[in-house]
Amino acid sequence: MRPLTEVKIGSLVLKNPVMTASGTFGYGEEYSPYVDLNRLGAVVVKGISLEPRKGNPPPRIMETPGGMLNAIGLQNVGARAFVTEKLPWLRQFDTKVIVNIFGETLGEYGEVAAALTGVPGIHALEVNISCPNVQKGGHVFGCDPGVSGEVTRAVRSATDLPVIVKLSPNVSDIAEIARSCESAGADALSLINTLLGMSIDVERRVPHLRNITGGLSGPAVRPVAVRMVWNTVNAVSIPVIGIGGIMEAGDALEFLIAGAKAVQVGTANFVNPRVTMEIVDGIEEYLLRHGFGDVNEVIGSLKTG
Amino acid sequence: MVTREDLTAEILSNAEVAPCHYLLALAVSPVYRDARPGQFVMLRPGGLGIPFLGRPLGIYSLSGHARGARIEILYRAAGRGTKVISTRCEGDRLEVLGPLGNRFTCFPGMDTAVLVAGGIGIAPLVFLAERLTTGPAKDRVRVVAYIGARDAATLLGVDRVRAFGAEVRISTDDGSAGHRGPVTELFRNEMGSFDTARTGVFACGPYPMLRRMGEIVADRPMPCQVLMEERMACGMGACLGCTIEVRGPGGPEYRQVCTDGPVFDLRDILWR
Ligand SMILES: Cc1cc2nc3c(=O)[nH]c(=O)nc-3n(C[C@H](O)[C@H](O)[C@H](O)COP(=O)(O)OP(=O)(O)OC[C@H]3O[C@@H](n4cnc5c(N)ncnc54)[C@H](O)[C@@H]3O)c2cc1C
Ligand SMILES: Cc1cc2nc3c(=O)[nH]c(=O)nc-3n(C[C@H](O)[C@H](O)[C@H](O)COP(=O)(O)O)c2cc1C
Ligand code: FES
Repeated sequence: MRPLTEVKIGSLVLKNPVMTASGTFGYGEEYSPYVDLNRLGAVVVKGISLEPRKGNPPPRIMETPGGMLNAIGLQNVGARAFVTEKLPWLRQFDTKVIVNIFGETLGEYGEVAAALTGVPGIHALEVNISCPNVQKGGHVFGCDPGVSGEVTRAVRSATDLPVIVKLSPNVSDIAEIARSCESAGADALSLINTLLGMSIDVERRVPHLRNITGGLSGPAVRPVAVRMVWNTVNAVSIPVIGIGGIMEAGDALEFLIAGAKAVQVGTANFVNPRVTMEIVDGIEEYLLRHGFGDVNEVIGSLKTG
Repeated sequence: MVTREDLTAEILSNAEVAPCHYLLALAVSPVYRDARPGQFVMLRPGGLGIPFLGRPLGIYSLSGHARGARIEILYRAAGRGTKVISTRCEGDRLEVLGPLGNRFTCFPGMDTAVLVAGGIGIAPLVFLAERLTTGPAKDRVRVVAYIGARDAATLLGVDRVRAFGAEVRISTDDGSAGHRGPVTELFRNEMGSFDTARTGVFACGPYPMLRRMGEIVADRPMPCQVLMEERMACGMGACLGCTIEVRGPGGPEYRQVCTDGPVFDLRDILWR
């Protein structure tokens, strides 16, 4: 018998725990020649703001050992164009659509959440709090527990959709931030977003990225991500979604065993566009091999002796 | 749906054809049968260290093969990733994604194609020369290829382009073959001989060379297409990493080289 793979993120029911990570799967359509979207637990689309954004000047990416740096600058089509031009195409699939949102002010977070609420085909919002707050000198929202809670509250009060708050790893105490978002009304947490990094072209003595610094992702970050997910699972009682350097089913299982209810696959899509489906298959194969009838038996099953 | 098989290629040969320059022949799936000049592949030797991301490489030739298609790639072992690819042998497998990107296009009434290639920029233009000279008679045009290289040893593609019946004009930086000096200047000296209403210019090469092409054709109404390069991660428009800046109707706009390009109208590019 095939094992059960359904997981629940609060009121959001996923057919399996595998989703795409925001910013690495476009708006879904880009990957449709490679991936049957019906097979995924959810598609998380590129971060959306109220108004379109141009993003950062190039060069925006650089390869690093076991990963890459990016400073895309949150280029996106804006909430209105997303709903009219991108979402209708996604609606034809039997998968959940999660829209990643961000703003530059607390008010903008609320506004973009409201603009995407009540729109058929959107099943949840994921709130990217790793953005600079233009009203507070560019200080990143998600680096302060109090402000992280305020953003969560702003979105919570603007929508009745499930709210997933996506945490930044560039903090000293992830548990404190996680608890702050939980008490402000988050339905779930996802982590990690990219780790701040930098690399230099030594021949020309210039940074590889025009933005100087960028976000590190890929297999290089996975141990950091697993540790932070473990810390977070132990700090809150809402569901946690694990993200960071997942390249294959075994990597996804690390997060599930650590206690994540589901996972997101990001940079791996660039290296193997079919990877999400292969991870879905690989998790099923693991469940069969270990005699688990339900993926939920594996979640949080870490033995620490 | 693209299968796992479509994403692997078998190496038929991978030979050093000039110092640090390699000609790679791959057996690929039938999805490549419709590949066109200007299109590229993302090539990965596998593994998760360096290289981690695929390397964008243009298609140099396309022909039939029992597996579906055979493509050739002419590349320079420039950095770590391409150096690893250059160590792979006949029978080895590579991960390949493609064919990707748009293509060079001709305009109605075009009867002459001028190709301007700098260094390894010759690679995609050889494929174009082949299509412009060996297709159905009604599509054939006169091809004049300006081929520039550092020296005679790294001058590549000349024999092939000649075999397609193209007129070849050569320049090298050190004068060891053809004219001495940049290929752009050789083209500039002779461009007055082309009928601007019937000639299309197609250029590929290093960034400064393409920028110089922009200056050279600025006051001549010849259509000119260039193949632009930028670092890539996904190759399919999803990561928004491979951005360049172009002239838009309302001011500067960003475009993705992998999906909006790699072929652009030279006059649209905003050089940095
Ligand atoms: C559409 C397109 C077609 C191309 N066709 C050819 C070809 O036919 N033959 C050929 O020799 N080269 C071609 N190039 C350039 C080729 O992609 C780079 O030389 C190659 O990526 C360098 O990788 P590396 O491992 O040698 O260097 P590294 O220094 O290890 O590269 C580090 C990172 O930067 C990227 N990078 C470095 N230089 C370039 C560049 N010029 N363009 C894009 N990314 C770069 C790499 O892909 C990698 O992600 C093409 C580039 C593009 C965008
Ligand atoms: C090119 C790129 C763009 C990204 N864009 C976003 C984004 O718009 N919003 C967001 O919350 N995270 C974004 N991320 C972060 C990823 O969703 C993910 O959290 C991170 O890359 C770690 O996972 P990975 O190692 O599997 O890629 C982006 C990552 C990359 C590589
Ligand atoms: S390489 Fe990802 S959008 Fe072009």
